[in-house]
Amino acid sequence: MTEPARPGAEAGVVERVPDVDALVGALDSVDYLTDTGLATALFMAVRLPQPLLLEGEAGVGKTEAAKALARILDTPLIRLQCYEGIDAAEALYEWNYTKQLLSIRLAESQGERLAQTELFTADYLLQRPLLRALEHPGPRPAVLLIDELDRADDDFEAFTFELLAESSVTIPELGTVHAVHPPIVVLTSNRTRDLHDALKRRCLYHWIDFPSPARTAEIIRRRVPGSAEPLALATAAAVSRLRTLELDKHPGIAEAIDWVAALTLLGAHRLDAEAVGATLGSVLKSRDDQAVARERGMAWIAGAAQ
Amino acid sequence: MIGTVQPASMAAAFADALHTAGLPVNPERAGRFARALMLAPPRTVDRLYWMARISLVSDHSQLGIFDALFTAVFTGVLDPAEQRGDPTAPSAIQAQPRPRSDSSGPVGRQQSVTGDPPPRIGGDGAGDGADCEREGVLAVAGSEERLGDTSFAELTDDEVTQMRRLVQRIVLAAPLRLTRRTRATHRVAERIDVRRTLRRAQRTGGDPVRPVHRTRRRRHRRLVLLCDVSGSMEPYARVFLSLLQGAVSGASAEAFVFSTRLTRLTRALAVQDPDEALARAAAAAPDWSGGTRLAESLRRFVTDHGRRGIARGAVVVILSDGWATDEPADVAVQMARLRRLAYRIVWVNPRQAAPGFAPTVGGMAAALPFCDAFVSGHSYAALEELAATVAATRNLPPSHS
Repeated sequence: MTEPARPGAEAGVVERVPDVDALVGALDSVDYLTDTGLATALFMAVRLPQPLLLEGEAGVGKTEAAKALARILDTPLIRLQCYEGIDAAEALYEWNYTKQLLSIRLAESQGERLAQTELFTADYLLQRPLLRALEHPGPRPAVLLIDELDRADDDFEAFTFELLAESSVTIPELGTVHAVHPPIVVLTSNRTRDLHDALKRRCLYHWIDFPSPARTAEIIRRRVPGSAEPLALATAAAVSRLRTLELDKHPGIAEAIDWVAALTLLGAHRLDAEAVGATLGSVLKSRDDQAVARERGMAWIAGAAQ
Repeated sequence: MIGTVQPASMAAAFADALHTAGLPVNPERAGRFARALMLAPPRTVDRLYWMARISLVSDHSQLGIFDALFTAVFTGVLDPAEQRGDPTAPSAIQAQPRPRSDSSGPVGRQQSVTGDPPPRIGGDGAGDGADCEREGVLAVAGSEERLGDTSFAELTDDEVTQMRRLVQRIVLAAPLRLTRRTRATHRVAERIDVRRTLRRAQRTGGDPVRPVHRTRRRRHRRLVLLCDVSGSMEPYARVFLSLLQGAVSGASAEAFVFSTRLTRLTRALAVQDPDEALARAAAAAPDWSGGTRLAESLRRFVTDHGRRGIARGAVVVILSDGWATDEPADVAVQMARLRRLAYRIVWVNPRQAAPGFAPTVGGMAAALPFCDAFVSGHSYAALEELAATVAATRNLPPSHS
């Protein structure tokens, strides 16, 4: 049950992520603004190393965190998007049957004999995300993002996790593949169902809160070139006001960015009732939610004292 | 403060404190915490907080207890909950340590009390098959058979215990739906399985002599049960809870109870031992026999759970008498939201069986137009009817009985 003693992270990774502060700085330099909590979580995921389970509302930047991590490590991000009914052929590997058949036909037409073993080599193997992450040649481990694991069936969840725990997989026709650089694993879940205890036991856990208006404004300014600071601040405040309403879908960071982009495009310099009314569709994307917001008043959203 | 203490012993001591408070912290997690402390010794309490939280906590629901304990141990230096600025986080005072259980194994199929295989009602069986099964249930019921038509409200305490055992064997099963996944079949079906056909063709020199077809797998739809445990429902809720437990452990259903607030009971009920499950359920939901905030509970369900995916395409069963303190108009709004997510909504109202009943209570009248079926479920026989209703597909006419 206990984990084997780990040697810690590889030298190339340690060099890039020496401590939490350096990680915050590096994330900042790739335009991913984070707080101490998430930075500590990513630091521990990279350096212990240990898979990290990220949870939080839709739109708080779970997927972005993994992308930013891959960028600062200068290593590929390999993403496995889970869905109901996903299986090993779609997640791990599959034989390229069409290519095998063509090779057989080609060999026949040229009067050659093709041994069975020649058909089951790496040339005929279609690598899916999990295998790609295990076989990543380096120099640093890949970042493997297993997105929305709660959508997959629970047996798939168990299968995935065994594979990652071992950092190896056995392909009957080829033999066992051992990862040279075991991937850095980030999992996300939207909590549609409870994940298995065995999985949670092996993971670090971090709940991402929605960022404060000030940080939201900073993020917006990084993402929308040419957006004015007062507008970004006003929009961030308006988004946090909208989040207090009874909405089906609370606006997230992505909506805030879309909103400022729309306002900037329309040449709005400040957020007033008229500007909110014209652009509401870029932040609230359901008719019911818009009705709730309109009832509360455009001026209130824009921040006018009432 | 931290420099004077050995990381390993501090990690072990704090993990032990959390364990005592009821969090599922194990030596593995404590070890990770210690390694993190050695990797990057935290210079501030804030850093220490995050390292401890990320390595020792495994679910959002544990944050209340964790924060309270962290503050207590590293006293008064800061209030982490305040510092995190999360208004939705549960306050430390309300947080109740959950009773620990080592039931980490996969949820097994339902275990019959007598050791016999549990008779299945509803489910896939239709026609003759279902009749046989029904006889089976009554045979198992034996001397308790006379309880079949008695209203749950009229049972003595002993009879309730018997009835719970019976009800637990009713396995609710939602109708089947097609999935994306396919399986091979030799019958002619919707698509040809090129991969398998070609693999088979290797045996016949590369010529696909016999095509292999593929057909889509079928699975049960998700089943969600929302049970009203307010004061007015008390005589029925004590039996319905066993129905919930049977559905959770037997059909992987999701179970919630509500009166003044909504509580998810799936975890609490997903243990094999019925008595333990009920004890855990009682501990998990603190508002038994309170008032009913129907609209608010539905709203919480749709917002926090339903829209995340639990209710999408699911059969939602609501067990309630519809007596609520909130406005009927609000109930209608929330039912409409649920309607847009769910495959079918089945409403179980035990008062429906009373003579002269008409669904005129505010909340009930408001909710009814959004329901696909309306059944009573007040007795064992009525619950069998519920099992059939739950298994029905949408094409069938709703059974307004």
